[in-house]
Amino acid sequence: MNRVVLADLGYVVPELILLGMALVLILFARRIRESQAAAIGTVAAAVAAALAAMSGSSAEAQSAFAGMIVVDGYSRFFTVLIAAALALATLLSTQDSDHEAVPRGEYHSLLLLAAVGMMIAVSTPDLLTLYLGLELMTVCSYILVGITRKRQASIEGAIKYFLVASFASAILLYGISLTYGITGATDFTAIASALSEHSLGSNPLLVVAIVLVVCGLAFKVAAVPFHAWAPDAYQGASAPVAAFLAAASKAAGLAALGRVVLAAFGSQAMVLSVILWGLAALSLLAGSIVSMAQTDMKRLLAYSSIAHAGYALLGLLAGTPEGISATMTYAFLYVFMTLGAFGVVVALGERGETLDGYQGLAAQRPAIAGVFLVFLLSLSGFPPTAGFMAKFTVILSAVRTGHVLLAVLAVVCSVISAFVYMRVAVAMFMKEPQQPAPARFPMAVSAALAIAVVVTLMGGVLPGLLLPWAVSP
Amino acid sequence: MSEYIGLLVISFLSAGIVGLMIFLGSTLGKKDSTPVKLSPFEAGMDPFSLPKGRLAVKFYLTAILFILFDVELVFLYPWAVVYRTLGVLGLVEMGVFLGILMVGFIYAWDNGALEWK
Repeated sequence: MNRVVLADLGYVVPELILLGMALVLILFARRIRESQAAAIGTVAAAVAAALAAMSGSSAEAQSAFAGMIVVDGYSRFFTVLIAAALALATLLSTQDSDHEAVPRGEYHSLLLLAAVGMMIAVSTPDLLTLYLGLELMTVCSYILVGITRKRQASIEGAIKYFLVASFASAILLYGISLTYGITGATDFTAIASALSEHSLGSNPLLVVAIVLVVCGLAFKVAAVPFHAWAPDAYQGASAPVAAFLAAASKAAGLAALGRVVLAAFGSQAMVLSVILWGLAALSLLAGSIVSMAQTDMKRLLAYSSIAHAGYALLGLLAGTPEGISATMTYAFLYVFMTLGAFGVVVALGERGETLDGYQGLAAQRPAIAGVFLVFLLSLSGFPPTAGFMAKFTVILSAVRTGHVLLAVLAVVCSVISAFVYMRVAVAMFMKEPQQPAPARFPMAVSAALAIAVVVTLMGGVLPGLLLPWAVSP
Repeated sequence: MSEYIGLLVISFLSAGIVGLMIFLGSTLGKKDSTPVKLSPFEAGMDPFSLPKGRLAVKFYLTAILFILFDVELVFLYPWAVVYRTLGVLGLVEMGVFLGILMVGFIYAWDNGALEWK
């Protein structure tokens, strides 16, 4: 048996940094309720965690804690991505409208703990530890959605999110228990070898197990038909929380799904492709079409994130290392453009919440209207933004593996969603201002927007930069 | 199967003792029933009531704090049994675990969860 040794802690340094900062913030929560000290500490911890994740440079996969944690290129990629999303969401949190008086210490420690959960979820080769990481993430998310408890919508969103996500957790757990019942293992490699050695592929129960596990994880990435919680939760949450959920928790869910699909159930390509095909097609269609009817900006972005889940699933559907790599690229670029789009909503304050608030923005604040236009173009997939490269790689991987119909559907949905995003752009640039110019916002929000814009443009102009990092497990 | 015989014996024994007690109580005991005596007893609460009443939130806080220490004990007992085989690492791990729990306790204390007002 592999003994757990103290040196194993060296493999979870990013998680430990975030956890340590979260504990410090909880200890001093009452004393830093009003100040920005918590935000500064959180950004510092996120940067330190990203650097720690990047410095572990050895290419080989190393396993720690008796095979419960694996550190490889895949886990490092997503750990850095989650740390970046945490830092940007924290910067956005410095803008707070006064009715959303949130205790800072608790808020930031919850963000940190949610990020720890995501990092565990992306760097584990074991179903039970995966469940643990995802639960840590979602339990913190429920509280974050409901933390602005003066607003009815916040409580409503949190309750709906809680009910649906607990149901999803139960589904995932049921799938895990069936998988264990069939293969006698929770470790991904052990599951894969049990499936290939004992020719369990024909076991009808295995299909049920795979469906349940994949559907449980599909809740986390908000893929249709498991998306119902997302619009309400994003609308109810304050915009920085919605940004963090839409970006980071989706990336973590995709990472977990990718590892499970490739490492554990890789031999069951038939079953997987049917499930993922359905999820991707429904997400693309529902996300793009329903977003046309939205008048609330956060709901619009929620449906957009549902459609983007569909695009990201195209890469997993391929099931090849190239496909996984395409999904990783997609997740990376998606995180920055989504955080950027939500960042504009944050920056505009009350006015940014509804679609009408964007009328005539370009005349009043040309800079922020221009920045928003970059994110909108990227979300709809126009070159030369990151969104184009991201969509191009996943659609290409779908075509290469013979899913031409789905690729066509993805392109069509991309056109539909372009209409939705351009509607906002038209309101910004071609309408007369109806409301007074938005108030100034903190430097930190500008910094976050600047970083997101730079990555969004870089990802489109120099797509090759990301490729060496996006390696499948 | 032989290792389960003990289990069987203990279930018969406990069923027998409970049956004996109920039998003795119902035949030898005094019977002056009042409505209060006949009502089911559960720690002073009415066991059958609709969940419509309001409850002070401080009971909830106390229950959460109880869980904090309860979970701690659940992990401390098995740890104490295998303490010698775990060695220094086990001590460090338990220290980390208790430390994190204590942070939660200090947070609750600091924010006045222990004051019954």
